[in-house]
Amino acid sequence: MSRYFRELSVVGALAVALIAMAVFAPAFFQPQPLLSLATREAPTLVVACGMALVIICRQIDISVGSMFSVVSVCTGILAARGWPLLLVLPIAAGLGAALGALNGALVAGLRLPSIVVTLATMVALRQGLNLVRQGEFVNMPDTVQWFGLPQATGQWVLVICALALLAALGLGLRHLAAGRFVYAVGTDAEAARLAGIRPQLVTFGVFVFIGALTGLAAMMNIVQSPQVQPLSGMGLELKVIAAVVVGGVAISGGRGNLWGAFAGLLLLACVAPALTHLRIEAYWEKAIQGAIILLAVVADGLRERRQA
Amino acid sequence: MKSLLRTFLAAALTLSVASGAFAAAASSKLVVAFLPKSKGNAYFISCKAGAEKAAKELGVELLFDGPTDSNAAKQNEIVENWITLGVDVIAVAAENKEGISTALRKAQRAGIKVVTYDADAMPDARSFFVNQATPEGIGHALMDDAARLLNGEGDFAMIVATLTAANQREWQKHIEARLKEKYPKMKLVAVRPCDDLKDKAQSEATAMMSANPNLKLIMAICSPGVPGAAEAVKQAGKTGKVKVIGLGLPNENRRYVHEGVTDTVILWNTGDLGYLTIHAGVALAKGDLKPGAKSFKAGSLGSFAVQGDNILLGKPFAFNKGNIDQFNF
Repeated sequence: MSRYFRELSVVGALAVALIAMAVFAPAFFQPQPLLSLATREAPTLVVACGMALVIICRQIDISVGSMFSVVSVCTGILAARGWPLLLVLPIAAGLGAALGALNGALVAGLRLPSIVVTLATMVALRQGLNLVRQGEFVNMPDTVQWFGLPQATGQWVLVICALALLAALGLGLRHLAAGRFVYAVGTDAEAARLAGIRPQLVTFGVFVFIGALTGLAAMMNIVQSPQVQPLSGMGLELKVIAAVVVGGVAISGGRGNLWGAFAGLLLLACVAPALTHLRIEAYWEKAIQGAIILLAVVADGLRERRQA
Repeated sequence: MKSLLRTFLAAALTLSVASGAFAAAASSKLVVAFLPKSKGNAYFISCKAGAEKAAKELGVELLFDGPTDSNAAKQNEIVENWITLGVDVIAVAAENKEGISTALRKAQRAGIKVVTYDADAMPDARSFFVNQATPEGIGHALMDDAARLLNGEGDFAMIVATLTAANQREWQKHIEARLKEKYPKMKLVAVRPCDDLKDKAQSEATAMMSANPNLKLIMAICSPGVPGAAEAVKQAGKTGKVKVIGLGLPNENRRYVHEGVTDTVILWNTGDLGYLTIHAGVALAKGDLKPGAKSFKAGSLGSFAVQGDNILLGKPFAFNKGNIDQFNF
């Protein structure tokens, strides 16, 4: 119980919020709008899983939003040219992994700080994309949306895919050796090295991994609507880092899990639609999200002081 | 590598200047230079189409050049080249209001007539600004169209880019003023920001519809908001029951307009903007258009009002099912 107190407190907060909505704005719980909103958050969840891994490994990747945009536009163009989606899917993951490998090589290979490396790739990818696309949308044929399936089926496919990925990664992180290596490197890279783990390889690995997940997420994004906005993914890095931190993943590495990150994402994602239902001015949205993040960080800080 | 690049750029620049000079020298025609914010942008390409039409009618030489991306420094460079070249008129859509003005003042001192269009420079750096739309014109066009679609009665909601952006505030002010003044039976029930993201606009519109079952129309006043809202309405199966209108570009909304999800997309006629700009520039160079003029006649488009040093393109243009396929930007 006490071991997962941090994660459970987020789940508790989410439960309180949902109960409050059930009392004050029951219209919030309508199946179709909720499914549409959940589908919109599905790609975010996939990227958040990758971000949790990176932060547990005591790194950070702020280039995910730009990677997401680049992969969305590239795969969108391929889909628009009539490439089969089954072929575009591995290309999306591969392109994401390649971009992640660039980050990973600079961070793990040259031992540069990840915040600086991914800041550079974030800006370079974003500006490069602006230069090439000038903000122009990619229009795709109707068959791309929902993989050509009926809307509700397509939405369920995406939501279930995201949840399945979460479950697989969450279990893998806990039970596979590779998953434990991430915690080991994030807790103490030197100790991990002495234990026979190669910290630089693990670090490289998590960057490739988040790249591939971001690529997949981009693919899950482009099949949701018939057009791709090159700006899509703008601010995604902040959204997923916030979700992960709120969910109890320690920014100092080595602690946290994906279930917490999932709860954190749900909590933050509920804020905007909840405010709309409660008819509270939109000015409050960012303020409330900020307060939630602050609360989480303060809670982590207090716990670390108690342990020290 | 860097020096190689520089050499290449310099060579390319010299070449472009030389070819321009050749064009200028080869005819005694007036030479009008037309500078977009960025030359690959479909919006400006559609402005150029109108500019070309005007140049042909007036028998003037049209030079079209601009940065490949929205780059204020590159705009200055191009203007400097045109000054060296000795063109007669420069028409500019300014990327940076202050930034471009120094170069434009220099052009004026060299006897070149300067007009701006789409985005203005400092008032002392040009003679006239061809103003494509006043905030009041846009606000009224949107509100009037919403009222037309709802027969002046019912709930509607708005999606804005951000709650604080100056242009959005300005448009919103005029929309609300028009609402209060003319449509007492209509009610604005929610205003939500989308951060200029289509995907967020979609989520916001989804939540607005479920929170307001009587919602009849969503008005998006930032361009990504219009297709975002339309996708939300379509996914909710409320096509026709919740109407969508907004400020945006035809290409981003074409499919939703054809599907009947989006009724009207409001902007200005970009071809007319280019056409009017060239007519104004040439009239200025020929002395037909002078400061203090109250109106201005531009070829086949007829007469336009002049307010101070702004030539007004007039009422915004409404793209709908009937005409949207005539525009590609």
